[in-house]
Amino acid sequence: MRGFMLVAVCATALYAQQFKFNLDHLAAKASESVDLSLNGSTLQFAAKFFDGKDPDEAKVKKLISSIEGIYIKSFEFKQDGAWSPADLDSVRNQLRAPEWSRIVGVKGGEGSENAEVYLRSEKGKVTGVAILYSQPRELTVVNIIGPIDLEQLAALSGHFGVPKVKLPK
Amino acid sequence: MDWLEQELKSALVRKEPSPGFSARVSNAARRPRIVAWPRWMAAAAAAILIAGGAAGYRQYQGMVAKEKVMLAMRIASGKLNRIQEHVMQVSR
Repeated sequence: MRGFMLVAVCATALYAQQFKFNLDHLAAKASESVDLSLNGSTLQFAAKFFDGKDPDEAKVKKLISSIEGIYIKSFEFKQDGAWSPADLDSVRNQLRAPEWSRIVGVKGGEGSENAEVYLRSEKGKVTGVAILYSQPRELTVVNIIGPIDLEQLAALSGHFGVPKVKLPK
Repeated sequence: MDWLEQELKSALVRKEPSPGFSARVSNAARRPRIVAWPRWMAAAAAAILIAGGAAGYRQYQGMVAKEKVMLAMRIASGKLNRIQEHVMQVSR
């Protein structure tokens, strides 16, 4: 029984994100990779080190106060074709109704970008977000767990080194 | 006088100190003494060092966690912004 409980706890810790990323094999091919696993307790711990008097840091502090986890895998490659559509499909196939719904899907544009945003909801409340972003030489998957406000998150651009995109009025 | 008395007499015969002996003794007496700290003081100093080190390490961990959060926010908000830009371009 104890063994079973230990396995269950370990499994919860390993797959704390809301879907499996299955992208570790790309790390060896990538020229740059980011692997972030921030659970709720890490976020709350980090929040103590944000300066509430600084307007920018206060925004992040407020944003992460309700978040239960942030999981990101991002890979950049030196050449095209390092990742395959099957890699993205293995993630996309887990983002299915009724829990998940795709709210945005973008194809094309500069550098053949593909981007999708999925929302996970339970009982009418947002409980998670998934962002899939790809270019021929880049693949990024983001899972934010909790009642995230996407507008607040997007509003962070222009701060902390995030380039501000000029949107037409 | 037997041989024992003879030995004792030669061993206990008065000898004059070497030259400068009294000066060396008085110099040594003037030197500051090294005071041995009480054990509790050494333990307290060690405890303060350990507590300070733990607080410093906690601060370091906090800053590392903060940097990770900032990086996560940079990536997530950056991608969302790109998507927002695409959507706005399409709707124009």
